Amino acid sequence: MRNIRLEHVSKAFGDDIILDNLSLTIPSGSFFALLGPSGSGKTTLLRLIAGFDTVDSGQIYIGDRNITHVPINKRNINTVFQQYALFPHMNVFGNVAYGLRVKGVASDIIEQKVRRTLQKVHLERHIYKPIQQLSGGQQQRVALARAIINEPDVLLLDEPLAALDLKLREQMLVELIDLQSELKTTFVYVTHDQFEALTVADYMAIMNYDGEIEQVGTPKEIYEFPISSFVAKFVGSTNLFHGLLIEKNGGFAMDIPELGIFEVAVSERRKFEAGSSLLMSLRPEKIEINKEEQAGFANHLTGIVQAIIYYGRSTQYSVKLPNGFIVHVFEQNEEHFPHEVIDYDDVVHLYWQKENVVLLEK
Amino acid sequence: MNRDIENTEVSTNVSFFMALPAFVWLLIFLYIPLLVIIGLSFIRKGVISAWPDFTLSNYFTFFDSLYYSILVRSLLLAFVTMAVCLLCAYPIAYFLALYARRWKNMLLFLLALPFGVNFVILAYAWFFILEKNGLINSILTTLGIISTPIQLLNTEFAIYVGMIYCYLPFMVLPIYAVLEKLDLRLIDASLDLGATRFATFWRIILPQSMPGIQTGFFMVFIPSFGEYVIPALMGGGKYMYVGSLISHYFSVLRNLPLGSAFTVFSSIVLLIVSLIFYWRFRRAT
Amino acid sequence: MSSRMSQYMLPFFVALMYFFLYIPIVVLVFFSFNKSISLFRWSGFSWRWYSEAWNDSTMWIALRNSLVVSFSAVVLSLIMGLLLVHYGRSFLEKTFFIFYGALIVPEIVLAVGLLSLFSFLSVPLGFTTLIAGHTILGLSYTVPIIYARFNELEYQLTEASLDLGATVWQTFYKVTLPLLTPAMIASGLLVFIVSLDDFIIAFFSASPSTQTLPLYIFNVIRSGASQSVSALSVILLLAGSFLILLLSSLKLKKLFSFGQ
Repeated sequence: MRNIRLEHVSKAFGDDIILDNLSLTIPSGSFFALLGPSGSGKTTLLRLIAGFDTVDSGQIYIGDRNITHVPINKRNINTVFQQYALFPHMNVFGNVAYGLRVKGVASDIIEQKVRRTLQKVHLERHIYKPIQQLSGGQQQRVALARAIINEPDVLLLDEPLAALDLKLREQMLVELIDLQSELKTTFVYVTHDQFEALTVADYMAIMNYDGEIEQVGTPKEIYEFPISSFVAKFVGSTNLFHGLLIEKNGGFAMDIPELGIFEVAVSERRKFEAGSSLLMSLRPEKIEINKEEQAGFANHLTGIVQAIIYYGRSTQYSVKLPNGFIVHVFEQNEEHFPHEVIDYDDVVHLYWQKENVVLLEK
Repeated sequence: MNRDIENTEVSTNVSFFMALPAFVWLLIFLYIPLLVIIGLSFIRKGVISAWPDFTLSNYFTFFDSLYYSILVRSLLLAFVTMAVCLLCAYPIAYFLALYARRWKNMLLFLLALPFGVNFVILAYAWFFILEKNGLINSILTTLGIISTPIQLLNTEFAIYVGMIYCYLPFMVLPIYAVLEKLDLRLIDASLDLGATRFATFWRIILPQSMPGIQTGFFMVFIPSFGEYVIPALMGGGKYMYVGSLISHYFSVLRNLPLGSAFTVFSSIVLLIVSLIFYWRFRRAT
Repeated sequence: MSSRMSQYMLPFFVALMYFFLYIPIVVLVFFSFNKSISLFRWSGFSWRWYSEAWNDSTMWIALRNSLVVSFSAVVLSLIMGLLLVHYGRSFLEKTFFIFYGALIVPEIVLAVGLLSLFSFLSVPLGFTTLIAGHTILGLSYTVPIIYARFNELEYQLTEASLDLGATVWQTFYKVTLPLLTPAMIASGLLVFIVSLDDFIIAFFSASPSTQTLPLYIFNVIRSGASQSVSALSVILLLAGSFLILLLSSLKLKKLFSFGQ
């Protein structure tokens, strides 16, 4: 088992404290995403693992091996840089072969391995091309090939798809997933794009602006059961209501000022006590929106449609509640000819089940 | 974040020693000599062996109208050279950057070419033109404008011509470099807002080219002040400038203390004048 | 003033300036072929001065001296500059400005400073002192140029190389050096030209036996036997132009090299 373990790692640059007493375990062989806004320290964390910067305090382990003070070139970790950092004076072959050449591997073995690796990234035809002749996506793959050919314990990817356009990015994400499951190498993928993270990750960690890890878990855990409002807002979008937890009919409900009392299900994972002041997180896709009244829902609000944004496969409605608060609702466009068309200024009814909210402390 | 070399197997010590030679060289052969000069300037001549007696008397020698005139003459030389070079260089740079298209590279090359030629030779080339029987005099006599040849060489006029000739490219290139990077859209914007071409030049282009002019100042004014060769060659050694006097102290009189003192003295004068210029520049921008 | 006229004024002025710039050179070349000893009266075409220059042994010695000094200065300032930039990046960031010292101080101050230092330490003047002084000049060209180019390069290239397992030396040899080569050639050439051209440091730091070319020419002119140097001047003119041509063709390449 070669987990990556960071224990009580701190890093500051001058007076700027980026990471403070941070601990994290990245499971061996997983595709791990490090998600956070710009400035959250995720790149710093990556650089510490790679060895480009050294920790001020703390330890870093790969399996049993303490790599905290091991030099960059001896860690058996390879990085795919955001701007690729391909060597401009070498062609594709030279770039990909570099890691093997510097270790003195025999040239026939090198040739073999380079071809095989280029096949994995679908670039065999460009093997001798100068890198300036390649497109962004192709350069990206060369950077990838250059790293994985060394069969590292860990592959670090620093926002590798940031410079690519949307379609290419989607394609590359799938290729990365396939590559990782084929190689079984631990991938650590840094990004600020939640879509990318949710797509590729087996596990992910969310970092906030202060360089702290808010939550670690599978994408589904993080999306459906966020620990804090930061996570709830950063991954996906949500509607947050501030209120008081009260007991009702043997269960729990949230008393939300000006709006009413809404039944909630308190999960086993986080037990809250009645009387606590909490946030109720309700994701837009969990809300049903109808012009006519419906039965069978415990929770209900009415409002007026302020804005409609059409996304093709879904539509987002912004509904203004009587107290002025705006709720966002996503509805999947299931039918070509919807039986009910919702328009601006329509009065609508919003419904949701009590199990579909998440209670948060802050 | 650029300490990667230190995060490798190469110890900081090795890095230190690899980078050291350049610093050491600079220290020994540039900064220490300057200190030596400053130190020497306080020594009375002749007493170099034992712990020398320090004195300011060397400096007092220079508070005399003879030396003032030498300093003023050098300042005037530097100033006039700079001014004329600026007036001539600016149009050239302007033309090269904004107008010449097909010939730009050719013209730049032609401009730089004299730079590669030893400037002693270039100064010497002027002999052919300025001499009593040289080009100018021959032309003037043939055209009947003068009857007897004028003394052009070994005059201050010759010195100035030589200076301007040698320093002109040094003024053109910095200004050209700045103008070349000028955002032409600024000119478009100015004209669009109703300014005349002249106003555009005065208010937009000229201020933007200040950094180039400043560089030109450093490359022309300061060296001109201490120039030795051109006054020596073109002036026949008849005129005393700062450079000539320093050279005189060191190579003829072999009076190192006094020579050093004068070097420091004139350097301070240069520094003060340069600072004054710098502040005036600052206010102009 | 009609705009037609003002349109032509600028090019006319510039042409005039170039004319001014080249008159001496043209005249020089012209008279180097002059048969008679008189400087300024044309009396027929002759290779005389060229053969005299060819046979002048003092000239050859001076040329050899100049070349030795200049080559040494180039090599020394390139090596030291390169090592400094590669290994001393963190030092350089803070102390960069001290390398401009040699450019700000008037050269004559530099020259007498060196002379004073050598007298003080009783070091005999000669090749060593000359090379030392010229290397200082050289460093103020190689360090800024190589450093600027080094900074332009993505620093991540060094990181990438180390990340892939290369040692510091391998990184230097396989990545940094090839990419810095154009900058090195350009600055090396520049140093060569400046060193060859230098008069004032040579004047104070050289001994009679280590006379460089500019010194030799200066002495000949001063002693009045000027005509003999005219041929040499033309040859140097051609050599100098060739070097400038080389330099400017390199500059263009440097801009084209390796995109980004």
